Amino acid sequence: MSGISERLVFLRERGMGASVLVAALSSAFGVVLLATTGYIGFLATTSLGDGGTVVMMVALLSAIFIIIAMYVGAIVTANTFSTIVAGRTRQIALLRLIGATARSERRRVASQGLVVGILGAVVGLAAGTLIAVVGTRIAGDAIGAPAYDAPIQPWMLIPPVAVVLTTWAAAWGGSRRVLSVTPREALGGSVERTHEEVGRRRARNGIAIVLGLLGALLLIGGVLAGLMTPLGVVIAFLGGLLSFTALVLGAAGIMPGILRLVGRAFGGSATSRMAAENALRYPERSSRMAIGVVVGVTLVTMFAVASETVKSVVLEGFTASEAEELGFAAFLDGFSAIMMGLVAFSAVIAAVGLVNLLTIGVVQRRTELGLLRALGLSGGQIRRMVLLEAAHITIASTLFGLVLGTVYGWAGAQSTLGSVGTGGVLVLPAVPWLPIAIVVAAMAILTLLAAVAPTRLATRISPVEALAVT
Amino acid sequence: MEITTSELGLAARVTHLTKTYGSGDGAVRALDDVSVGIRQGEFTAIMGPSGSGKSTLMHIMAGLDDPTSGRAWIGDTEITGLGDRDLTLLRRRRVGFVFQSFNLVPTLDVRANILLPFDLDGRRPTVAESERIRNLVAALGLEERLSHRPHELSGGQQQRVAIVRALATGPDLIFADEPTGNLDSRTGREVLELLQAASRDRGQCIAMVTHDPIAASHADRVLFLGDGRVVADKPRQTPEEISAHMLRTEQAAA
Repeated sequence: MSGISERLVFLRERGMGASVLVAALSSAFGVVLLATTGYIGFLATTSLGDGGTVVMMVALLSAIFIIIAMYVGAIVTANTFSTIVAGRTRQIALLRLIGATARSERRRVASQGLVVGILGAVVGLAAGTLIAVVGTRIAGDAIGAPAYDAPIQPWMLIPPVAVVLTTWAAAWGGSRRVLSVTPREALGGSVERTHEEVGRRRARNGIAIVLGLLGALLLIGGVLAGLMTPLGVVIAFLGGLLSFTALVLGAAGIMPGILRLVGRAFGGSATSRMAAENALRYPERSSRMAIGVVVGVTLVTMFAVASETVKSVVLEGFTASEAEELGFAAFLDGFSAIMMGLVAFSAVIAAVGLVNLLTIGVVQRRTELGLLRALGLSGGQIRRMVLLEAAHITIASTLFGLVLGTVYGWAGAQSTLGSVGTGGVLVLPAVPWLPIAIVVAAMAILTLLAAVAPTRLATRISPVEALAVT
Repeated sequence: MEITTSELGLAARVTHLTKTYGSGDGAVRALDDVSVGIRQGEFTAIMGPSGSGKSTLMHIMAGLDDPTSGRAWIGDTEITGLGDRDLTLLRRRRVGFVFQSFNLVPTLDVRANILLPFDLDGRRPTVAESERIRNLVAALGLEERLSHRPHELSGGQQQRVAIVRALATGPDLIFADEPTGNLDSRTGREVLELLQAASRDRGQCIAMVTHDPIAASHADRVLFLGDGRVVADKPRQTPEEISAHMLRTEQAAA
């Protein structure tokens, strides 16, 4: 018994709890979406007699949203593990010194990822199943549908199993740095590693550039083809998929530039400069973190802009009352709101990662913060610095996401509608202010929330303890 | 009326200082009724073996830690009982620090590290201060390094930057905590000579905690601590005299 609890003690390490939470969120999200799909299928069958097409469509959409959520979750988990490993350097070096091999150490980290994944998946499965059972009952009562006898289905196990596997893989991917820890690092010389290894990035950037160019070409091609046929949207969709994958792959090449630009806007005082530099201290880490938020903001904006643009084009020429009668606007608004809500879930997962990153960042900078406190950094200045650090990442991600989302949303609408009527219509992007305002407000709240825990930790650091020679 | 610290010719002083860690049977008394003053314009070394209380004494004198009982002053300001904000401002404006390692903020270049105390205070150096910084940077051979980051500097260079930063604001006193602990002996000697020169030529008051007799031999005055008490207070000593004294106290204790 003590053996097991000893082996699970790593879960108390900072960052592990957040990883369990991320796995649980992805798993619960997947279970609930699949359950909803099943229920919609049931409703369609009982009321329409046959729900084949509807179920296919809903299942496809659900699958896409689940994959997006898991993808963001995997980025967050990989990032968390690589951050945890960076903090464990000394400990790993000591084990290497005693005689552990790098591979066995990496396997140990990966197996911790497996445990995290299993825990999160089980919690998520339980929560998701509960929501599914209660939710279908409430929904059934509300719309007076016949009783649904099968809210629990074996295929609802697919998301949790996928979460276990992706978390495991993410931990393995995030633990690559273990291999580069040398036993020498256990001995004195507390020189901080300021720059992460750059080697592998080249190849990845190469792939990203090729994919990005291909995606951009397809996107343009889709928009042009859209001037003649609505099928242009298929080409544009493919272009969007490729170019966005390229952005995520090449995040470490793109985000630092944007982060630097935003950092410059913070002004030249020492606290703002340090805040800006902290976000760039581990460019890979911050970039991956930021890209999670970018994915969320981009997708929400994309749905908002696309539906608003479609609405403005289709309703052109109708009077307000005619339009209302058609009910088209209401349907589109409702549909895009659901889509936005679903993609926003991936932003929640990214937010967990952001909070986690900032917190671990403070813990790993203990000595430096102690030095700054000794030199006269006040509690207020610490709070400002941590808040700016969080704002740095959220502002950069939000701006980038808004621009990307507008471009993608417009490209989608343009390629669908370019051939309307006589063809060759050029559509202007319409940006709905409400969803955008909600996105910006949500990001502002996220910034404040993300700063709470790290600020509390940072202001509690005593210079004497932090500077005690280790 | 109480006689003030500056009237005594002191830059800092403590009276009846006690510091206890933990409580009950496990309590450790790090400082035991220590009363001592650091004289203005002097380079004082605080010597003692590990666990003698020398670091604790320095931390309390510098406003980094609270005593269990007793009082402490920097200049004429009593620092015991000051709140965190006042202590922070006091350290920023009137105290300089040189630590053993990790003296510089890794994300700031050398220039920004030197100007950090001013920056935190939301002001630029005055003309006189700028002049002082320029002279120090030139004297310590750091002109070419101003735009470098700490990781591009050697240990000795990093320590010199820390010394410039500590001297830049013209503080009441500088606390140096084992400033040569991480340096090879030649670089260490250079750093000690710099501190010595700052005290001799600029009248800068410096208190240095060390357990290295050679380091302590650069000071004008050597305070010996043992078991939380000041056991000896001597003028400038040779390394041999300091070592001999240390050995005697160690043997007496054994």
